[in-house]
Amino acid sequence: MNAFIDFIMGPMVWIAFLIFILGLILKIVLIIKDVNARESYIYSYMTLKHSLRSIFAWLIPFFPQSTRQSPVFYSISYIFHLLLFIVPIFLTSHIVLVNEAFQVSWIALDDGLADILTVMVVLALVFFTIRRVMVPEVKYLTSTKDYILILIVALPFITGFLAYHQFFLYRPMVIAHVISGEIMLILIPFSRFSHMIVAPLTRAYMGSEFGNVRHAKDW
Amino acid sequence: MPNEIKTKDDSPVVKERKTDEAVEAGLARLTPERIKNTINQVLQKETGPRFKAYVETCMHCGLCAEACLYFLSNDRDPAFSPAGKVKQTIWEMLEKKGEVSIDFLRRAVHIAQTQCNVCKRCSMYCPFGIDIAYLMLLVRRICHKLEITPLYIQDTVNSHSATMNQMWVKEDEWIDTLQWQEEDAREEFENLRIPLDKEGADVMYSVIAPEPKFQAGLLYQAATIMHAAGINWTMPSSPGWDNSNMAMFTGDNEISGRIARTFYETAARLKVKRIVMGECGHAFRSTYDVGNRWIGWAMPPFEVVHALEFYHELLTSGRIKIAQKFKKTVTLHDPCNVSRGRGLHDMAREVTNMLCESFIEMTPNREHNFCCGAGGGVINCGPPYKGERMVNNRVKAEQLKATGAEVLIAPCHNCHSGLEDIVHHYDLNMEVKFLGDIIYETMEKKIYKPGE
Amino acid sequence: MEENKSFDWSTDLKEVPVREWEDRFVWVEESHVSPDGETIASIVNVEEGVFTVCENGETWDNEYDKAWSLRPLPDGKFAACVSSDEEWTLSISGDEWENWFDFIWDLQVNQDGSSLSLAIQKDMEYGMAVNDEPWGQMYGNINEMVLSDTGSVAAVVQVSPMAQADIEVFKQGIFSCAVNGKAIEKNFLNIWDISFDSSGKNVAYGVRLDRTDYTIVVNDIAWDKKFQSVWKPVFLSGEDSVVAPVKEGGKWALYKDGQPFWKTQYNQIWKMVVSEKTGNIAAIASNKFGKWTIAQNDQPWNMTADQMISDLFYSKDGSTLVAVLKDKGFWTLAVNQKKWDLSADKVFTPCISSDGKVVCVVIERQGQYFLAVNNIVIPNGYDFMATPVISPDNTKILQKAVKDGVYQRLIMSTDKIL
Ligand code: HEM
Ligand code: HEM
Ligand code: SF4
Ligand code: SF4
Ligand code: SF4
Repeated sequence: MNAFIDFIMGPMVWIAFLIFILGLILKIVLIIKDVNARESYIYSYMTLKHSLRSIFAWLIPFFPQSTRQSPVFYSISYIFHLLLFIVPIFLTSHIVLVNEAFQVSWIALDDGLADILTVMVVLALVFFTIRRVMVPEVKYLTSTKDYILILIVALPFITGFLAYHQFFLYRPMVIAHVISGEIMLILIPFSRFSHMIVAPLTRAYMGSEFGNVRHAKDW
Repeated sequence: MPNEIKTKDDSPVVKERKTDEAVEAGLARLTPERIKNTINQVLQKETGPRFKAYVETCMHCGLCAEACLYFLSNDRDPAFSPAGKVKQTIWEMLEKKGEVSIDFLRRAVHIAQTQCNVCKRCSMYCPFGIDIAYLMLLVRRICHKLEITPLYIQDTVNSHSATMNQMWVKEDEWIDTLQWQEEDAREEFENLRIPLDKEGADVMYSVIAPEPKFQAGLLYQAATIMHAAGINWTMPSSPGWDNSNMAMFTGDNEISGRIARTFYETAARLKVKRIVMGECGHAFRSTYDVGNRWIGWAMPPFEVVHALEFYHELLTSGRIKIAQKFKKTVTLHDPCNVSRGRGLHDMAREVTNMLCESFIEMTPNREHNFCCGAGGGVINCGPPYKGERMVNNRVKAEQLKATGAEVLIAPCHNCHSGLEDIVHHYDLNMEVKFLGDIIYETMEKKIYKPGE
Repeated sequence: MEENKSFDWSTDLKEVPVREWEDRFVWVEESHVSPDGETIASIVNVEEGVFTVCENGETWDNEYDKAWSLRPLPDGKFAACVSSDEEWTLSISGDEWENWFDFIWDLQVNQDGSSLSLAIQKDMEYGMAVNDEPWGQMYGNINEMVLSDTGSVAAVVQVSPMAQADIEVFKQGIFSCAVNGKAIEKNFLNIWDISFDSSGKNVAYGVRLDRTDYTIVVNDIAWDKKFQSVWKPVFLSGEDSVVAPVKEGGKWALYKDGQPFWKTQYNQIWKMVVSEKTGNIAAIASNKFGKWTIAQNDQPWNMTADQMISDLFYSKDGSTLVAVLKDKGFWTLAVNQKKWDLSADKVFTPCISSDGKVVCVVIERQGQYFLAVNNIVIPNGYDFMATPVISPDNTKILQKAVKDGVYQRLIMSTDKIL
């Protein structure tokens, strides 16, 4: 059992990161290969200019009409996605771990602030969950899988928070935190979380079709 | 009415009222084997990474719902939301690996052919830019292969396949109609001609089959505009004159491609410089964006100029002069296929302002317009679905009403017919007009001479 | 082009003033020039509702209520569809056919001019007429008319009635191919692209068997295999074999007599031409989406056009293959894999010498017509030009052009141009 835990807390962390990064790269490579083989015609329509134009337009808060029509959801989603990256990357405990392993470090969030941000992420996920239960058009599309996905994102934040505050069961909580973090990382390339890299592609394509062929905006 | 069918949350609708005889006859012929093979063939062999990305990355967030006129008109019934329609069709086909029931298909064909205008508005509201219209067209393709496409639209595709026009217009009827309109128009312009097969003309003018069939007056108007503007133009006497394409709306890509090929080869035979088309949105989409692709023309081999753009050119170059601006208050419906589909919305406003004294915007507009509810082949499914089509576009009626305008300009045949139905059904008391109608009414009836 | 020998190749210039026609008539329609360049003709409006044709300043003997589809014939005469008292017939330089119809259209002339065919409608029944002989049997509708070099005709005819929007009847197949008026046995959902062999006896065409299956039919016998789609079949010269582009597994390939023929699978392939002399087969093809090329005997040309290749012609001896194409917004020609430098708004039908050494073509640039010979554009612009002719010995070119209201039949020496 101890050996297993050591593995989970040690090598597995780096393995999870590798799977996360290599998985995403693999995903992109496979998509491009598949496009070349089966839908290469799309290159006739894609342009870098229109791709970037659309991606950037959609990154500007409240620029697309769609975001203005659902302002609450978009604000929360926007903050959630930002924090999803900022919190773990700039977390003191994480930086310490990286520093021990690789002797590199960078500026860290103030722990108190990190705490608040973590709570915000969890609240955002609670909001997503409530929305899935309450809003009919979202409820209609929701299946158990969607709740599981939310849970998978929520767990590292919840367990990390609990471990940091050492409310109870400190050691198991850290273990649970690391496991849930690893699960999330590993799942990103292989689940709908892969929208992290597929979204820019679909956006680029639609942006090109609209910008280049249809001479219209797509936001 | 489809909105009477309430859906339980997780289970797709199992009950569906009878649709039309062609759908029913087709369903009765199906075997589980054929259903499974056809669905899997289309979804596996005929799609690619794009399809995969669309189904695998949709986060089920429901943001696209806000975009869809069906959803909004049906009191936000989720079954009418874009992703909701995908859930009831594609998702289940994938989940069941093609082993779906007859009832499921009855519902699927109803959704794909009559509850989506493939207008792509939702692609502007989905943060990932997922192309729901494409997914609905895939469902239509499956229905086409299963031979359960609704009756009236299938008949137009049959007509296309046999005559290369949408309305079974016989070859002599076409030519005869042009000659008859030419003769009538000579009452107004002595020497007016509709030059047939004039090799080397600058412009090939093309129309959709309902013009010679039901609205020959539009050919008359177009001829007077061409004549007054001094355009070196021609119309083909042979098949290839009809720029419409219903096959692209039933997923019959083979016939759709054949139509596009005939169209462009007709222009090549006549050795024209460019093609001008009447006020039709889907014909523009077919020739500019869809039919050409199946054939392998990445972009149209000839410049295709929608009437809207052509009028703009005639008015700004002074080839057509307006004697007296149109007096009544007008509003403008942006046809999706030339606004969201080609970015001509600003030109449409300029043309309207050049022609009319008082123009009132309807909102939302430009790329964000709502479809008229007739497009994408929906109106072509015919009388059996007309009642629900009226219910399904209540938002358009509300939008129109809010303008308070006397005249509604709809520079697209489909929109024109669809909006006339809406105006009538909701008792809006508006007159629906083409831009060509207004140009014809307001222009100076004299022939353009350069330098005048 | 043997008949070119009898043309007048020695008179340098003959002129016909045409501007004065404008004063004589209410309006003058577009010009047509006879193959030998001796005659220029137009449909003219004499007064309200009265039409005739003016050939070199002289009008036809008869006047009509309507006239359209004027066409020069190989023998120097002209034919037009004309109407009097709501009836239609063909008039050949003023001589009408005996038969009159309720409507006529699609005038076709075979290569030597021995046969003229029309699609005809009488009492809402449809058929064809060749050299004033209407078909004995008439049909519910007609499409896809073709006239062979031997004078045989064929068309797709509707053999059984169909009520409005009756898709069940359509599904059973209501169209047949009628050769010289006689519908051959089998019916299909659709029939397209009828081809005759050189004897004018055999026909091949593409058909749709049911909603999604297509194949090729030769003399009423269908190939065994079914395809996703098909394009126009052609007979190989001197053989009974039929070659057709077919779509299989999402790709296009050439099949011969129902068996795979060329190895390459194309994104698109159509419009085959066969050289009678060499037996070479060429087709317009695309290997890469949006890029067009020519494939000859399954070998693609080292050239692509990004918009369209519209036509393909072999010289008589088969040595030269000429493609009319549009690339980067302009039309040009490609001769034996080499794109010409000229870029035009319009390119008309090229004229190729029998040995393939001289290729000339009329082009239009910004409203002016020019003659281009072997990639050289002659700088004189004209208001109008008809297809030129190359003399049998390649030394001269007959240019037919209108400038400043005068039609000029001009003999030019090829040496001086090249
Ligand atoms: C997979 C490898 C990971 C390891 C080894 C790891 C390790 C740690 C450690 C040691 C702590 C500190 C606990 C304490 O203070 O005692 C922590 C906290 C935290 N971690 Fe991770 N973590 C990992 C992944 C993640 C991921 C993927 C996320 C979120 C996306 C995440 C979010 C957090 C949060 C929100 C906290 C608590 C911050 C706070 O409340 O101050 N961690 N993590
Ligand atoms: C830079 C990369 C990313 C981008 C641009 C992005 C973008 C989006 C967008 C546009 C949505 C749809 C609706 C909304 O705005 O919420 C979404 C939803 C979501 N994303 Fe991301 N995302 C990214 C990365 C991630 C990652 C790495 C995760 C998790 C590991 C994630 C988890 C989620 C979740 C759970 C939702 C659904 C919210 C709900 O339930 O309604 N995203 N994302
Ligand atoms: S394409 Fe148009 S009609 Fe169809 S789901 Fe999207 S918004 Fe609705
Ligand atoms: S907006 Fe896009 S991601 Fe969200 S449910 Fe609709 S299609 Fe799916
Ligand atoms: S009919 Fe008009 S509004 Fe409707 S889809 Fe077509 S172009 Fe759009």
